[in-house]
Amino acid sequence: MKDKINILTIITYGVILSSISILLNDMREFDFNQFTAFQNWAKAANKTDPWFTSKNAIKWSFYVISAALFFWRGYLIYGFSYFLSILKEIEIGNYFSDKNSKSFKKIGDIFTSYAASVLILRFLLASIGKSTFNFFQEFKTELTILIPCGLAFYILAELFKRAKATEEENELTI
Amino acid sequence: MPIRVNLDVMLAKRKMKSKDLAEIIDITTANLSILKSGKAKAIRFSTLEAICNALDCQPSDILEYVEN
Repeated sequence: MKDKINILTIITYGVILSSISILLNDMREFDFNQFTAFQNWAKAANKTDPWFTSKNAIKWSFYVISAALFFWRGYLIYGFSYFLSILKEIEIGNYFSDKNSKSFKKIGDIFTSYAASVLILRFLLASIGKSTFNFFQEFKTELTILIPCGLAFYILAELFKRAKATEEENELTI
Repeated sequence: MPIRVNLDVMLAKRKMKSKDLAEIIDITTANLSILKSGKAKAIRFSTLEAICNALDCQPSDILEYVEN
């Protein structure tokens, strides 16, 4: 049992580290100099011009939304760290602890909020004309996995809560 | 809980110590204490049978229903 937990912990660490390295690489490839260009534009821009029609402002919105997408990906990786917490609890024998139930709920929250936020942000990206957005195409790809996974974690959280109550009842049966 | 455990009353009547009863019915003193204090959620028929056997009494002597 302990060997399996150790293997799962190593796999989880591998997933977290590779996700972080992919995210950092994507951030490295992202052109952050555009933010400086926007700041320079903002200083020189004519304040009487309508904000939304400005080409630079639209461009800036694209970078802000892209940065938000990076943030949500980071948040999703943070969600993976809860697996380590669950594995640690299992290792010490607290299978149905409150901590595990809360961790499963938290992972469910992160997965569903990530899926919903990414969907909204990609829609916004499409609306400012920087990407192609097809609602059904989005659902076909990663969101079809993340939303059911999030729901599965909510179900697991509820199951663990019930299991804890049953375990307590069993312990108090003389 | 509306079910009251009168185990301490029966133990006093039989002049038996909790520790001795725990040994006879083969449960820990901690579990017997949980049972006596009314914190137990349930009691197994086998435990009830062993208690009745050890104290020479009926289940109704140990368990009592009290209306809230």
